[in-house]
Amino acid sequence: MVQSKKQKYLFLAFCLVPTFIMFAIFTLYPLFSGLYYSFFDWSGASQHKEFVGLANYISLLKDAIIPDTIIHDYFLVATKVIGIMILAMFFAVALTQLKIKEAPFYRIVFFFPNIMSVVVIGILWTFIYNPNLGLINSGLEFLGLESFAKPWLGDENWALPSLVLPSIWAGIGLFLLMLMGGIANVSKSYYEAAEIDGASQWQQFWKVTLPLVWPQIKISVLYIVITTLNGSFIIVQVMTGGGPNNATHVMGSYLYQQAFVQYNFGYGATIGVMILILSLLTVLILQFFMRREKVEY
Amino acid sequence: MKGILKFRWILLFLAIFLVTLTVGCSSEDDASEEGTGNDSSEGAKEVEGEIAGDLEIQYFVGGYGDSWWKEVIADFQKEYPDVTIIEHAGPNINEEMRSRWVSNDPPDVVYIDGAGSSETQMVEDGQLMNLTDWVEGIELENGDKLVESFIVDPGKFDGEIYSLPLVFDTWGTWYDRALFEEKGYEVPTDFDSFMNAMAEIKKGEGIDPFVTSGQHPYYFLRGMLYPAFGAAGGDELLADLITGKEGAWTSDIVLETMKKVEKMQQEGMFDSGLGALNHTQSQMNFLLHKNAFIPVGFWLPNEMANDIPKGFDFGFIPSPMQDVGEPFAIVPDLRPLAIAENAENPKAAKAFVEFAFTREYAMSFSEHTGAIMNLTGVDLTANDKIPSYLTEANAMINDPEQVQIYEKPHPMSADLETPIGNALMSLMLGNMTAEEFVKEAEKAAENYRNSN
Repeated sequence: MVQSKKQKYLFLAFCLVPTFIMFAIFTLYPLFSGLYYSFFDWSGASQHKEFVGLANYISLLKDAIIPDTIIHDYFLVATKVIGIMILAMFFAVALTQLKIKEAPFYRIVFFFPNIMSVVVIGILWTFIYNPNLGLINSGLEFLGLESFAKPWLGDENWALPSLVLPSIWAGIGLFLLMLMGGIANVSKSYYEAAEIDGASQWQQFWKVTLPLVWPQIKISVLYIVITTLNGSFIIVQVMTGGGPNNATHVMGSYLYQQAFVQYNFGYGATIGVMILILSLLTVLILQFFMRREKVEY
Repeated sequence: MKGILKFRWILLFLAIFLVTLTVGCSSEDDASEEGTGNDSSEGAKEVEGEIAGDLEIQYFVGGYGDSWWKEVIADFQKEYPDVTIIEHAGPNINEEMRSRWVSNDPPDVVYIDGAGSSETQMVEDGQLMNLTDWVEGIELENGDKLVESFIVDPGKFDGEIYSLPLVFDTWGTWYDRALFEEKGYEVPTDFDSFMNAMAEIKKGEGIDPFVTSGQHPYYFLRGMLYPAFGAAGGDELLADLITGKEGAWTSDIVLETMKKVEKMQQEGMFDSGLGALNHTQSQMNFLLHKNAFIPVGFWLPNEMANDIPKGFDFGFIPSPMQDVGEPFAIVPDLRPLAIAENAENPKAAKAFVEFAFTREYAMSFSEHTGAIMNLTGVDLTANDKIPSYLTEANAMINDPEQVQIYEKPHPMSADLETPIGNALMSLMLGNMTAEEFVKEAEKAAENYRNSN
């Protein structure tokens, strides 16, 4: 039986319309209402709000903390991309190529942080960093390196770098699995051919593995960038609350502080719009730089 | 055919989009009309009649626990059996109830305390009922007028009263009396003796003597600096600083006080890790004798009740930031009870507020919470259920030779407190000088003035 066009479109509508309605309610509506509120002076705790035009955007440009939050965000993006990709790639190659017996065990160990809530991870690491009772300072003391002990999260210079470690630790597992999937799909014959041609393990990695898993790498990097720009808020909020003296505020945590602690909801919405624009720009730029011809051997 | 179908898709897209937007916008329009239609004085007029119907009470449950509330509400229920009481309570209740306030469907009675609540903001947003006239008529059980029986009078916004201060709390400095007695350390009486005591403890115990929460710099601001400013410049200085008056933060008197903080930092009195600590961690440090002094309010023993080591004996003094020869200074922190401007059952709400303000409940409040209700004429000394630090503090507070009470006009707005707290943390970590701090604070005050 041949389906009529009407039937075909009815079926398509049946599939798409509910999704689209959900999308409209849970994504488009908040997006546009965020944009709408960014033009108001509103405490976020009452009905009373006043249209102020672009005043919030002008304050945004004058706010001395905003540039810091942007720098902090991109610092986290850069360190996380580098840290996660290098470690995930290293572990993925090790677990697939080196024929380790315990590979499944390590896979579980590395993936474990991914099934934990980021809030739990944040709290856990707050204990690890605790200046008096924490594992890190006690460990340094045990090794006779007291002079390196610091109030990690309470130091204006060290607080932000200290957030990188838990972020990387929490992120590796997922990308490890993605890269392992990519590597497993590379046909063994390429490596055999490379070996016959006299390529070392290192050369095999650069010339065979890396180009063939490039699509996975690209997706991983984009994913890390987007989740960091939108989600670094959680780890900051749990571990430092943006302090000391704004040393760890990222755009998201500053948005939260403005909207829900200082009752400037309209201004918070303005910061939200800024995050959206910056994320879009970053992703576009990354797409441009990471495009590569698809490699096939 | 294809063209028409495409056109249909676009139409469908637009229709759904418009529907979602109009649904969102129209609900807001309706609600804001209701909001503006209310007259603030209207609610204050008494309407005689039966007290019945639903009564919604929102109260924050923090360091004081909720047992006092349960008792009062149960008694109120007995007195007014026709009222159905709906409680909204918990440590996150301010966040949980926010959508109710935003959508103009607030509870009837609200106890304003804890994170996410701001009396100043609620008054600015017109959410609280004007109680100025009504409160005049309230009497306590023995016929005393309520307005004449407050320890600290209600905060006023443009001369009008929007809330009644229920809990009289005050920040001060805590120490372990048992440790001090055992080792013979002196309990400080002014800033100099405070520094001496800390130096002695630093040497004797090998610890950084002073701790506070670096994640919440307002603990130090409210617990140490407000009393210091009160002692140095009285109510006027406090009011100027809290309202961000021009030149107040850069005045000599403030700089002198901040020099004291700088001195504490330079002599290593602050816990080197305090920048990382949240309030429970700092309190835990204090209980574990990793530090000897901590500024917190009366709620500390209750909040940490499950973690107090054996033999630990809470001692409380007003924060000793004043010069030699001056009395201690305290700046009370009041937690008010208020009625929503748009309360659905204002009659029952008023009956409840009136019901809660009695000396009998003030006594039971101290028993339940270890803190004081804001009523005079409550004799705590005769009651052995009340902890000794409280009776002592109460006696001190009532002796003007020992302690001066200074009042702030209203709590500091978060828009001013946040940047000042940030700069303060930098000063306490040694990354800023007292001079740089006052400049930063003045800048924050200027921004605050401009934003209002």
